[in-house]
Formats: sequence, structure tokens, C-alpha cells
Amino acid sequence: MSDDNKVILLVEDNPDDVELTLRAFKRSHLMNPIAVARDGVEALDFVFARNEHAHRASQSLPTLVILDLKLPRLDGLGVLKAIRAEERTRFLPVVILTSSKEEQDLISGYTLGANSYVRKPVDFAEFIEAAKVLGIYWLMINQVPPERSNP
Amino acid sequence: MKIGTKGRLATVTALGTIVLLAATIWWAFTEVEDADRQRRKTAEIARGLNDLRLVTFEYILYRTDRAHLQEREVAGRVDRLLATHPFSDSEPNEILADLRERIAETQQIFGELMAKPPDYASSADIGGGAMRRFEAQASRKLLVLQQESLVDALRLADFSTQRISQAQRRVVWVFLVGLLLIASATAGAAWLIHVSVLAPVRRLEQATREVASGNWNFKLDIGGNDEIGDMSRNFDAMTSTLRASFAQIERSNQELAALNKEIEAFSYSVSHDLRAPLRSMDGFSLALLEDFGDQLDEQGRDYLNRIRAASQRMGRLIDELLGLSRVTRTELSIRSVDLSAIARDIAASLNQQQPERAVTWEIEEGLTVDADKSLMQIAMQNLLENAWKFTGKTPNPTIRVGRTHGSAQPACFVADNGVGFDMTYADRLFGAFQRLHHETEFAGTGIGLAIVQRIIRRHEGRIWAEARPGQGATFFFSFREHDDERRQQGDPPG
Repeated sequence: MSDDNKVILLVEDNPDDVELTLRAFKRSHLMNPIAVARDGVEALDFVFARNEHAHRASQSLPTLVILDLKLPRLDGLGVLKAIRAEERTRFLPVVILTSSKEEQDLISGYTLGANSYVRKPVDFAEFIEAAKVLGIYWLMINQVPPERSNP
Repeated sequence: MKIGTKGRLATVTALGTIVLLAATIWWAFTEVEDADRQRRKTAEIARGLNDLRLVTFEYILYRTDRAHLQEREVAGRVDRLLATHPFSDSEPNEILADLRERIAETQQIFGELMAKPPDYASSADIGGGAMRRFEAQASRKLLVLQQESLVDALRLADFSTQRISQAQRRVVWVFLVGLLLIASATAGAAWLIHVSVLAPVRRLEQATREVASGNWNFKLDIGGNDEIGDMSRNFDAMTSTLRASFAQIERSNQELAALNKEIEAFSYSVSHDLRAPLRSMDGFSLALLEDFGDQLDEQGRDYLNRIRAASQRMGRLIDELLGLSRVTRTELSIRSVDLSAIARDIAASLNQQQPERAVTWEIEEGLTVDADKSLMQIAMQNLLENAWKFTGKTPNPTIRVGRTHGSAQPACFVADNGVGFDMTYADRLFGAFQRLHHETEFAGTGIGLAIVQRIIRRHEGRIWAEARPGQGATFFFSFREHDDERRQQGDPPG
């Protein structure tokens, strides 16, 4: 079950971007399983093991959430807010990966407690490079606080 | 009624009253003069009558010829005096008529007395007793009549005196009435000025203060059809026009704000949504090259690379367009900015990016301007990157950053000794997507200088360029006049 412990949650509604992100992670030799949520509500269901993801209740939290900002139903900032509001997921590493480099998005993202903000480059070679750096940093270098169990 | 009309009315009243008073004084003067003349005349008559009485007495007592002659002379004088008509009133004229009659009567009696020879009185015959009685009777009557005449003459004198005092009394009354008129005209004018000028002016003063403090709804509303009323209506019309234009401006501002919001939403959407397909194009082209590159020939791979290059170029274009619009939208925060430090940082980073190039940097110290720091950073970045780029094919490339020290408006400049450009096309220099060189020669989107110009313009400054083909280009920019002044004042002397 070591794979489950290191699952990455990718929250992305654009299927092309999903495909390319998965390819980028594969190309940078990241072996972690990647779960994909297509909108904000699904992302929260996955994190909090609700509805169709209820079976995950016994499993640990994803090790990293890669979050797009522009999403159907609940947007990325809403997801981030909900994650930070919950005691159990307060310290869950969340990296915003988005097209926007608008100042307001950056400020809102960091204000709501994003751990990192990365802009998707158009050049795919650069994107692969970014994915590699992200994976190395968040999955290998970075230390996370021990997970608290549900009361 | 107009205030002017009221003022004229008050002036006419005051002047009329003064004229009336003057006329009264003139009338009183002539009246007194006339009465005085009458009095003198009556005094003369009285004197004449008195003389007449005296000579009559003398004659009765002594019966001398001299007295007789004197009586004739005095009687003639009195007749002449009585023949004039100095009185206009009926009563003194009646008295005068009585006087004339009585004088005539006395003359007749005197004549009867005279009829007797003078020596008759001294003779002493028997009939002399009756004669003497007649004489005594006639004399008494004569004296009584003369006494009455004298009393009448004194009455006439009284009339004149009365007339004088009447004239005096009338003058006093007219003066009192005139003074009252002038006083009431003055008071009326003062009241009028207060009610129709001072009070409205005070209200107007208050109104201007209200309007000045932003209360556009203040209505003066002073009625009346005088000048102040007109002014009040004009004032109210002015404030209502102002109110209307203010509301119009407010509406335009709201529309502008809405438009700005829309542009912001559009930019956001452009930034986010237009880039996604480009990423797919570039990403899947690369995937094709990587996974199926060996199944394609050289041309196929070239095409895929062209797709990637085009996608990336469009990505850059979108980014720079967004940058251009952000420059316009950002709120300015003006502070003292050290352009020398900014230039040094940019120079260092350019040197680091292309260490193989040996560019000489000449950056003047102490270039400070009052501007928005982040925008000036963008402007300097663009100018220095341009200089860096266009000196790429120049031997001994030099980039200078400094300030002009001429007597004209001081300006900062970024100068290079690169390829320069033909000044004929200088007007196209600052337009978005305008290029003066082929992209194959020097890469770029053609937006950089448009961004720089917008930044300088947002600071109400001016930017211009001087260049010659093959001899480099210099970009000058200067800010608002007062900033320059302040900067100069801040400079230490010498």
C-alpha cells in the first residue's frame, strides 16, 4: 500500500492538460500514482473521502494536490479554502498550477494558503522541466508534518 | 420692480423733496419780503396819518396859515400813499378803502372848517357862540376820525406782521414734512437694500459655499423679478446644469469602471483560456516528435517544429499584450525611484544570461525620478533589452544610461551604438506590433516600446528617440515639469 501513501491529486478540467501533465510526470520519471479530479467538488470528495470516493476513508491523504484555478462548479480557490479550513488537511501541500499570472490570482492563492504557485508554460519542454522540479521538491526534498488521524 | 427702478425712485423722491424745500424757502423769502414791504408802507401811512393829525391839531389850536399849508401838503402825501394797492387780501383792502373814505371825510370836514376866514375865530359877535360850537364839534369829529384812521393803519401793520409769522410757521411745517420725507426715503432705501440686496446676497454667499462643498442639490430659490431674482434663477440654472453634468460624469465613470471590469475579465479569460490550446498544440507536437519522430521524415519533423515555434510565439504575444494592458490598468504609486540601481540590476542579469557577449555599460549614478517603481522597472527592462538586442551585431557594443544636462527640459536617456534605425520611420516606433527590423534579424514581438511609451505617458511624461542607421539609437524620456523642478531643488548645489 506504499503507492496509496504517495498518491498525487491532480485537479484539472482540461483533458489535454491532464494528458500533458501526466505525460510530463512520466517523462520526468515520477512513479507516484496520480488521481485526477475534473472539478472542485470532485477534488474535495477525493480529499475528504466523500460520495464516490467514500471508500478512501481508510486511506491516507494525497501527498500533494496540484490545483488548477479555473474549474467547473467549485473553482480552485474554493477548493483551497475548504482544504485549509479542515483541521486534518490544514498542512496538506497544495501547488497551484495554472495558466494565469494575474496579480489578483497570485495574491488570492497565497492569501488562502497555497504552498506554491506555478504557471503552466506554453513550451512543453519547459513544462516537463517544471514538473520534474515540482516532483523532486515536493515528493522528495520537502518534509511534511506527521498526519493527524481523524478524531 | 427692478432694484435699479427702486433706486431711481428713491433718488427722485429725495431730489424732489429737496427741490420742494428749496422752493419753500424761496417762497417764504418772497413772502417775508413782500410782507415787510407792506409793513413799511403801512408804517409810512401811519406816520402820514399821525402827521396829519398833528397839523390838524395845530390848525385847530392856532389856525395859522402855515398849519393850513402843512395840512394840505401832508394830506396830499397821505392820498398818494393810499392810492397804491400793496395788499392782495380782501380784508386789508377793505380797511384801506375805509381809510380812503375816512380821509376823504376828514378832508371834507377840514374843508368846511377852512371855509371860515381865519380872523373869524377871533371876532366876538353874538353869533360867534354858535359858530364856536360848530367848530368845536367839527374839530372833535375830525380828531375822532383821524384817531380811527390811525388805529386802522396800525391794524394794517398788524396784518403784515401776521403774514410774516404765518410764512414763518408755514416754512417750519414744510421743513418738518420735508425732513420726514427725506428720513423715510432714507430708511426705506436702507430697508430696501437690506431686504432685496443684502439678505439675498447673504443667501447667495451661503449657496456658493454649499455648492463649493459639494451640495449640488442646494436651491437658492429667491423669487422676485428684480436683478437679484434674475441672478438667483441663473444660479439655480447653473447648479442644475452642474448637477446634470456631474451626474453625467458619474454615469460615465460608472460605465468606465464597468468597462474596466469587463476588460479585466477579458484579460483574465485571455490569459487563462487562450493559452490552453497553445499548450496542447506545443505539447502534443513535442509528444509526436518524441514518440513518433522516427516514423516521420525531415520535413514532417520540421513542420512539427514550426507548429511548436508558432504556438510559443503566440504564447509570448498573448503575454506581452496582457502586459501592455496591465500597464494601462495598474494604479500608479509614485515614489522616488533609483533608475541607476534598476539599470545596474538589469545589466547584471543580461550579462549573466549571455556571458559570451562583452557589452560595455556606462550607467550614470544618482538617476532618481518620482515614478511608479514596478512600471519603471518594466520600462527600463524593455529599453535595456532593446539596446542589448540591437547591439548584438556591433563590435565593441556600448550601452549608456544617463541624463541630459542641457538648458532644455532635463531628460533621462538610454543610448546604444547598435544598428540604429532610419528616422523616417520614427513615428511607427512606439506603435504596438510595429517593427523596424525583420524578425529574422532581431527577434521580438514589437510591443516593448509601446509598453515603454504607455508607462511614460501614464506618468504624464514624454518619450522620443534619435537614431541613425548603423550608428545606434538613443531613447529620451522626461517626466512632468514639477517633478523635474522638485528633483532639481533636491539636488545639492554645484
